[in-house]
Amino acid sequence: MGMEQAWVLPAIPVVLFVLIALFNGLMPRRGDFLAILGMATVVGLVFLLLLDFTGSFRAGEFVPGGSNVFAFDWINIGQGFFVIEFSTYVDAITMVMLPVVTIVALMVMIYSTEYMRGEPRYGWYFAVLSLFVAAMLTLVLSGNLIQLYLAWEGVGLASYLLIGFYWERQSAAEAAKKAFVTTRIGDVGLLIGIILLWRATGTFDIQQIIAAATSGQIDSTYLTVSMLFLFGGAVGKSAQFPLHVWLPDAMEGPTPVSALIHAATMVVAGVYLVARFSPVYAEVLVARDVILYVGLFTAFMAGTQGLVSNDIKRVLAYSTVSQLGFMFVALGVGAVGAAMFHLFTHAFFKALLFLGSGSVIHATHRQEVEGLGGLRHKMPITTATFIVGSLALAGIPIFAGFFSKDEILHALISDGPAWAYLVLAATAVLTAIYSTRLVLLTFFGKPKDQHAYDHAHESGPAMTGPLVLLAILATVSGFFVFDQVGEALGLAGGIGALVYLDQPHHFTTLDWTFAAGAAGSALAGVIVGWAYWGGDAKRAVGARSWAPDLHAFLVNRWYMDHLFQAIIDRVILGLASVVAWFDKRIVNETGVDGGAQTIGYFGYRLKFLQTGKIPNYALGMAVGVVALTLIAVGG
Amino acid sequence: MLTTFLLLPLAGAIMAIFLPAERERDARWVALFFTLLAFIVSVIIFVRFDTAAEGYQFVESFEWIAAGEAGFSIQYLVGVDGLSAPMVLLLGLLSLVGVLISWNIDLKPKQYFAWLLFLETAVAGVFISLDLIQFFLFWELELLPMFMLISQWGSGRRLYSATKFLLYTLAGSAFMLLGFLLLGFSAGTFNMAELAASPVTDAIVPMAIVFWAITLAFLVKLPVVPVHTWLPDAHTDAPTAVSVMLAGVLLKMGGYGLLRISLSLMPEQAQEFKVILAGIAGFSVLWGAVITLRQTDLKRLVAYSSVSHMGYVLLGAAAMTDVGLSGAALQMFTHGTITGLLFVMVGAIYDRTHTREIAKMSGLMHQMPLIGIVFVIAGLASLGLPSMSGFVAELTTFLGALQAHPAATIAAIFGVVLSAGYILWTVQRIFHGPRAPEWEHLEDARNWPELVAMGVLVISIMAVGIYPSILTNAVESGIAPIAAIVGAVA
Repeated sequence: MGMEQAWVLPAIPVVLFVLIALFNGLMPRRGDFLAILGMATVVGLVFLLLLDFTGSFRAGEFVPGGSNVFAFDWINIGQGFFVIEFSTYVDAITMVMLPVVTIVALMVMIYSTEYMRGEPRYGWYFAVLSLFVAAMLTLVLSGNLIQLYLAWEGVGLASYLLIGFYWERQSAAEAAKKAFVTTRIGDVGLLIGIILLWRATGTFDIQQIIAAATSGQIDSTYLTVSMLFLFGGAVGKSAQFPLHVWLPDAMEGPTPVSALIHAATMVVAGVYLVARFSPVYAEVLVARDVILYVGLFTAFMAGTQGLVSNDIKRVLAYSTVSQLGFMFVALGVGAVGAAMFHLFTHAFFKALLFLGSGSVIHATHRQEVEGLGGLRHKMPITTATFIVGSLALAGIPIFAGFFSKDEILHALISDGPAWAYLVLAATAVLTAIYSTRLVLLTFFGKPKDQHAYDHAHESGPAMTGPLVLLAILATVSGFFVFDQVGEALGLAGGIGALVYLDQPHHFTTLDWTFAAGAAGSALAGVIVGWAYWGGDAKRAVGARSWAPDLHAFLVNRWYMDHLFQAIIDRVILGLASVVAWFDKRIVNETGVDGGAQTIGYFGYRLKFLQTGKIPNYALGMAVGVVALTLIAVGG
Repeated sequence: MLTTFLLLPLAGAIMAIFLPAERERDARWVALFFTLLAFIVSVIIFVRFDTAAEGYQFVESFEWIAAGEAGFSIQYLVGVDGLSAPMVLLLGLLSLVGVLISWNIDLKPKQYFAWLLFLETAVAGVFISLDLIQFFLFWELELLPMFMLISQWGSGRRLYSATKFLLYTLAGSAFMLLGFLLLGFSAGTFNMAELAASPVTDAIVPMAIVFWAITLAFLVKLPVVPVHTWLPDAHTDAPTAVSVMLAGVLLKMGGYGLLRISLSLMPEQAQEFKVILAGIAGFSVLWGAVITLRQTDLKRLVAYSSVSHMGYVLLGAAAMTDVGLSGAALQMFTHGTITGLLFVMVGAIYDRTHTREIAKMSGLMHQMPLIGIVFVIAGLASLGLPSMSGFVAELTTFLGALQAHPAATIAAIFGVVLSAGYILWTVQRIFHGPRAPEWEHLEDARNWPELVAMGVLVISIMAVGIYPSILTNAVESGIAPIAAIVGAVA
């Protein structure tokens, strides 16, 4: 398995999608084993690819590459003026994405065999998961922007189908539509960006575009505008302000889907896109500042919302939006390595948290923390792994999130404004607080709903297995940042170099003082959370009386959903009503029908002129002659 | 070959009308047989079409009105190029679909199928005529079956809608004939190929008037805002098969005329007014899409979405580059299959629920999963999802038009957000949600004609979406000469 064969990776799940979607009724177990076997094969191939990659990496002869082996002219118009071909491109960023996507997907599929057992449309579920993986792999392997856009919409389609998996529920159908339309606004930005870049460079090839843009061939204002449009796509897909509103609602989908699509993979596509174009963003600092502040604002805003939500999945969703904001902050100061590193660790611990919450929901059929509590006695494995995930999210040392978040904060204090650092550091503390709150309210204290508690049981091995594996990854994946780990795995320059970190990281060169500060603030957050919510379950409800206005503001998501809904209802649909009314009454009934009636009316009147009496005609003629004479004389 | 394609449906129409009264239900078999034959011929034409060759292919001609004192003749002259070959294929396909979804017509089936077949012949004449007068004759001929089909087999205010359709088109074509005559007499020929080779630059009236007289007829047919209001009425009151034909091929006559006549024969004027055309296009896309959001009648909703989507055709045409023109031609074909399928689905739903009020329907996916899934596929294609044909056409149009008309193009690109909104909202309201007790009795699609009609359209949409070259190569060979003509005077 070399880089030239990378096209095989998305090809396998594509074939499985078609097979399972059409024939799952004929297959034993509705074809779930096929999807899982296919996925396991892809994971194996990714590791073979990784070996090939590390081999050339170690030998110091790594050149990013891909293949056009299976490239064909998809569209060719204007004598090659406009050619779209399919190609793959593999470099270090791709090599970070591939294991993340495939490992989490495999875990989620195995988990789903138990979680989704007995659901109607079970086979369809696995088919769409395969479609998603195919589109996501195509996205990260794309050598050109059209192919990327195709995959970009493909993951959006899979997301739409899976959020709306329970379409019998109006709320799920609504959430699916909201997700698709909201991200489409961003997609339009991406498409405009792609067209603008094509217009300037005459190619869709990503590397050629980057080369042209970094060599100053494109006017800098033009480039800034193009790159901002491109970032629009990232804002939609990665749920950043102001297009973040779809992600919390997307929790209507089955929980394993939330873990895969709405935490670990699809939502980081925007981060991937900006990282992919990072050399160009380094040229257009205005656009990069926009990324920084959008990310910063989103991180803080979503963090505060996560603090008050009572729905276990929604807390995680807000947290995802917030953590994606962290990644964009890193990209905004040019710390691509830190962003990719956080993407890498976040994928594992957030998938773990979502799957853990799924285990809780599966056991209790409750997802509001007000109805949970005390579950550690019933579900020890879920509790332990969930705590690992929370510690990683909170940024407690040795767990993965600590290292990657530390990288981001460190990059921000070095290259960003001080106040931005303070905001992000405060958000990091907030993260620790809400993670602690979630763990305490769900697994500790006394059960708030005795019935749900009695009903609860630990999930079976198909669910706990992936939890344990992801918990291990959530613990160790942070160490990948160190050179020593990279050396041990056979990567000269360390994995740090692999994810484009600016300088190699050694245990000795890490800024320990800074790291201690970060660890201290995370710990402080945990302690605050523990002090407030520890032991007393009633506090969860009591919190809202402490600052009711602030609480209402946060619970209502800063009123942004209300605002957007009002804009849609009042402004867009209102305007549409006016236009529709105008079209019906003015254009059609007054203009067209009215015109026809006027002609009809005159026809009716004028017919009386045709009297058939000679004197009348003679009179008319005389009047005419006189009139013409007068005009002629007057002229 | 082309004459066969032209006359096959006519022969079928004659045969259907002379069926004995007691066997009138067999008219559908006659219609199926002849449309199937015509479809096979259209496929053969498309497959055997040589994309590398220049000029028109499968040309057939004879002198119709011999050259007299005036010095020129009116010929029967047919042929196809890369622009019209896909249109012929589309017509063959949608006529077949039209017969299949009319399978259960009970009211005067002999006459119904005869008119439907006659319609195919008339439209075929428009797409293959290479002589302006002949083009005009077929253009007018198409009105007769349309008027009869809507006014006799329609619903609602069918006579109003049929008359409106008739008057609108007649008003447009009166000016068109005037324009044709001015062009023809100035050049001394009505042969399109000759006219394109040496465009008329001078007539007894300013060429701008000639251009607009002709183009107006095409814009009405397309249609664009503000001359679009005949379309929703005609669609709403027409029987399903006629809606399919109307949206699928009749609107394409407008786009085809724009490319074949307005641009090719009067390139200077086209260049001169391209900004106006692009402005109309961008406005139509948004205006149509915004109105679509507010429609409560399912069929009207699809009709207004057509107004919006046909704006892309004009936008691509207004770009006046090979990429933009290819986009316009692709959009014509893909809109034909996609909107054709949407109307098929609307008809399938209406046949069962007997209502088109979106508000009255909900949760239909429970009772009719297949219809629901195919509707979703058609909807996704309509909102321009990659791997469906609509995306290929829209992308090509945008790429071609952005350079020349940035504002109109960006406006049009935002149309795809609105498309996503109204399509998915419709899907949600009609198909999603809990089971509704009043619809428990509904049955999913089971009859073979319906299934075949849906199947061939889905296949054609996906095929073009996944491997566009099957269409783009032909289209490009037809567009290249037109792009060269308009490019030469830029």
